[in-house]
Amino acid sequence: MGSNLIGRAFESFKRIGEGLRTVLMHSFREPITKTYPDTVSQIAPHFRGRLALSVNPDTGEHLCISCRQCERVCPDKCIEITAHKSPETNKLELIDFKIDHGLCMFCGLCTEVCPTTCIINTNDFEMADYTRESLVYDLRRLTLTQEESAFYFEAKDMPKPKPKPPKPAPGAAPAAGAAPAGAKAAPVGAKAAPAEGAKPAAAAADAAKPAESAKPAAAPAEAAKPAAAPLEATKPAEDAKPAEAAAKPQDSSTEPAKTVGDTTAKPEEKPTASPEVKEAEKEKAPEQGADADKKEG
Amino acid sequence: MVSDTTSRPLKTDEMIINMGPQHPATHGVLRMVLTLDGEIVTHAEAVIGHLHRAQEWQGQNRTWFQYQALIDRVDYLSGMFTSWALARSAEVLDGCEVPERAEFLRVIVSEMNRITSHLLWLGTYLIDLGAMFGFPFYPFREREKLLDLFEEIAGQRMMFNYIRIGGVQRDPKPDWFTRLRAFTKEFPDRVDEYEAIVTENPIFLKRTKGIGILPLELAMDYGVTGPSLRASGNNLDLRKTKPYSIYPKLEFKVHTLDKPEGGDTWDRYILRIRELRESTEIIKQCLDMIPEGPIMNKKQIAGMRVKAGEGFSAVESPRGTLGCYIISDGSDKPFRFRWRNPSFCNLAVVGEMLVGSPIADIMAIFGSVDVILPDVDR
Amino acid sequence: MIPNAPEIGKLLFIICFWICAIFLPVWLVSWAVGVLLPMLLEQGSPSMAMTATAETLRALTPIISVMVFIPINAMFMVLYERRALALFTVRLGPNRVGPDGLLQTAADAVKLLFKEDITPRGADAFMFTLAPIIFFAPSIFGALPLLAAITNNHSLYQITNLPTGIFYILAAASLPVVALVMAGWSSNNKYSLVGGLRAAAQAISYEIPLVLSLVTVCLMAGSLDVVKIAQQQDGGILNWNIAGGGALRGLDKAIQTKLGVETTPLITPQQSSDPTETPVAAPTTFEEVIHQYYPFEFLSYISAGVLIFCSFILLGLYLTGACAEINRIPFDLPEAESELVSGYNTEYSGIKFAIFFLAEFTNLFIVSSIATVMFLGGGDNPIPQWLLNKMPLEPIQKSLGAILSPFINGLHLIDPDTFWAAFWVIFKVYTFVFIAILIRGTLPRFRIDQLMDFGWKRLVPLSLIAFLVVVFARVLVVCHG
Repeated sequence: MGSNLIGRAFESFKRIGEGLRTVLMHSFREPITKTYPDTVSQIAPHFRGRLALSVNPDTGEHLCISCRQCERVCPDKCIEITAHKSPETNKLELIDFKIDHGLCMFCGLCTEVCPTTCIINTNDFEMADYTRESLVYDLRRLTLTQEESAFYFEAKDMPKPKPKPPKPAPGAAPAAGAAPAGAKAAPVGAKAAPAEGAKPAAAAADAAKPAESAKPAAAPAEAAKPAAAPLEATKPAEDAKPAEAAAKPQDSSTEPAKTVGDTTAKPEEKPTASPEVKEAEKEKAPEQGADADKKEG
Repeated sequence: MVSDTTSRPLKTDEMIINMGPQHPATHGVLRMVLTLDGEIVTHAEAVIGHLHRAQEWQGQNRTWFQYQALIDRVDYLSGMFTSWALARSAEVLDGCEVPERAEFLRVIVSEMNRITSHLLWLGTYLIDLGAMFGFPFYPFREREKLLDLFEEIAGQRMMFNYIRIGGVQRDPKPDWFTRLRAFTKEFPDRVDEYEAIVTENPIFLKRTKGIGILPLELAMDYGVTGPSLRASGNNLDLRKTKPYSIYPKLEFKVHTLDKPEGGDTWDRYILRIRELRESTEIIKQCLDMIPEGPIMNKKQIAGMRVKAGEGFSAVESPRGTLGCYIISDGSDKPFRFRWRNPSFCNLAVVGEMLVGSPIADIMAIFGSVDVILPDVDR
Repeated sequence: MIPNAPEIGKLLFIICFWICAIFLPVWLVSWAVGVLLPMLLEQGSPSMAMTATAETLRALTPIISVMVFIPINAMFMVLYERRALALFTVRLGPNRVGPDGLLQTAADAVKLLFKEDITPRGADAFMFTLAPIIFFAPSIFGALPLLAAITNNHSLYQITNLPTGIFYILAAASLPVVALVMAGWSSNNKYSLVGGLRAAAQAISYEIPLVLSLVTVCLMAGSLDVVKIAQQQDGGILNWNIAGGGALRGLDKAIQTKLGVETTPLITPQQSSDPTETPVAAPTTFEEVIHQYYPFEFLSYISAGVLIFCSFILLGLYLTGACAEINRIPFDLPEAESELVSGYNTEYSGIKFAIFFLAEFTNLFIVSSIATVMFLGGGDNPIPQWLLNKMPLEPIQKSLGAILSPFINGLHLIDPDTFWAAFWVIFKVYTFVFIAILIRGTLPRFRIDQLMDFGWKRLVPLSLIAFLVVVFARVLVVCHG
């Protein structure tokens, strides 16, 4: 009994000593910590981070065709697409694309169903913000630049979208609608047309919104304010939306903005745009009035 | 020694303590109502449901495609297994063949997931036992390496959505296999290190030997599965007893401990350590045997349908038998879902195991069963 | 080479920085209060009041230096512990505040002080407030006798020297338990109560092996006076209590005789002569000295070995008991996080929690310095006298002395003996702390009943056996005392 006890005691000491030695020897190994903000570790290309909308890396056209597949498949219903049918082209035009990242569970289903590989998961995981509202990303914040899109297309091994077929006159847009890639780009291009004409309205709408969206448009808003005041009163805010969407990238001088500029800065596009705006106004007048009230109130 | 204290003549006032749901050691939101006589538990009752998310109901209200993405959350430490259980049940209904490469990939990722799950258990279990500051970091370090691999293959570190009905989601690059191979090479050494620190440590032995004994009959009465059952002497491991996927082609051992009086917490510990090594071996074999070929046999579309019928299938998750019972009416939504979660059954027996043990052992016993609360509550 | 060299270097840098940050203020403050101010006051022909003030200031020096020392030391130890644990766990540890995280704990301390001080509803507010104070107080006054020992009985600190110093220290060390029970009881929280009661049970049980091991050391030394115990061990590692409580002193002396080294210590002043020591001068050969110290030849050698073995066991017993006494892993049951949330300090926040925290780390320092004084020779340097004399240190010492002489003789800023004593004490104490950290990084926690078993059924008998063995073995060898 006694010797057994002593033997066990020695055994215990040996074991504890072995453990202590193993732990002590660890202090000679290189630490695995990465000091996060200083060194960011390599994130896998397929990492499912913040959602974003890509553009064609070659031409810079927006890839979304407003097919609403992602909206339908989203288990959390966090995607909200606003689109309307263009009267000339008879194609869907994207007005706004909202993703509530506070609701999103980053399952990546939307990216799987997207027929044009427009919506993708980026590597960005630093989305912390001060309010829940600012987690709702709109079209402007979701759209990637051309370089970013090129990066993700390459990293994720996605087939590059076909470049848009040679663009016919905007009046003949229906013809161009055959190829989906063309179709999705056309509305955006067409929308940029009112950028010139409807800018005051857009600026007014921006100015009316106290949110961060006012910031990029602040300069034009100041310039166009006198003109905007009457427009704001007569036109529902929703009408200004297409213009706003197109105008904003222009202000923030991102890639899409450039392309929007060079594809659509043709003088003859202006007249085609204005009827569109009017028609939309006619169609949606009642609700939009309410919308505008809400926004201003 | 414990029985000495329980049978003492001096009776003190009964004290009722609510352990949890905010107790730092209850692994999530379990509430245990403990009736104490001094420091000895006379009655223990687990109150569950704090984490109930209606997973089964959600399954019935989502399409197949959507629900696949959600079920990783059922047991967040072994999402591959929940995905696999669902996929297998649906494949039984659908009659679709899974490509062989996909089966290999499934086995690889789920054995990896078994390792990560056991490693997390190992770290937290030592925290339960009070080794808070040093040891728990080691298993987590290795786990991180595997999670990085998961991130590369599945997109996220824990919510994989990788195993799909009809195959797997993505074919990893050759580089991924190289990294995994490197991991399997160094991992056994790391396990040796864990063992050097923990296995024979006299304090660890004192804390785990002979406490929380789970007799085989009791375990079987309560439907305990997984390492807890195998530590008590039964060799139920679906990978061997009801072989599925490519497991028949692989050589591996199901570790059981032959303990007539039932396994204690140390047995459950050592069993998991052995499973760590065994899983590494399985991964090695799979890496050698994996064929080329397609990885997906069913189109992953939003309106994915599964043929009408009833199907059940189970996989061996790190916590035990994880079963999934489905009734499909042929539409894009499942008609009825039912999960058979190992944690739920394993938790049920904890109440019996706790009686007669002091407060200090509650966490040692509860932790050794490896219960994941989301898996219990669903 | 070593892949982790930068991190180890950073830890060493932190240690050096903080040791300077601790001891420079202590040194300067104690010099200002104990030397400079009295010197100024007593210039010329001082009045009665002046002299009295100067004397009071001198008397206050120890307590003032302790008060300066404790908070800074606790800040350092927390950082030391965190960085060392980070090394063991392959991490970096705190590295944001200040260069390499040097100021992390200072920032933490400031944060804690400004936190809201919450007294839970239903708590006994008076007791709740009193508990941290009672917990903290013994760590200030309990450590005082050690000061004399670790400063090599410097004249300023002689006031703290008690003839029964070790009893006083142990008495003070057992006071915090009362505070823990008070904290546990007054918090109105079941977990706190259990924690407090556990603390009481644990402290009472582990006090016994702790005290017995120290008593055995006192027996070896033949004194209860910590200063005397420390001074006995002067002259290198062979004279320390860890080497059998002086059982190897004969060997040391014999080697000295053989090498013809003069026996006067180089650094420390000559100790008072003991009756056993008087005939030392007579023998002149190695064998004679050996015979004088080990009179029973073989039996004496055996008992010297036994004494050495026993003293290692005693050190182990002491460290185990001390770990339990200050509630460190693996004996941190009163605040066992996985069982009792945080035990007795569950409900504490803000400055009260800070005081608990402070006292815990101060206690760690104190038990380590007790171990240093009782087992490792206090401020003695580990190199034996004869080896030290062989080294070419004389010119260095002379030139240093020449440079520093204005400070030593004029301003009394540096006392070389005290300086070296303090240096070695710091080195030894933080080595003990390092071991405590290493243990914390490795071992799981005991269960309360196992803890009691271990204490009563293993440690107490073992310490009694060690005590008896030492009593008998000591007769056969000429030791200290």
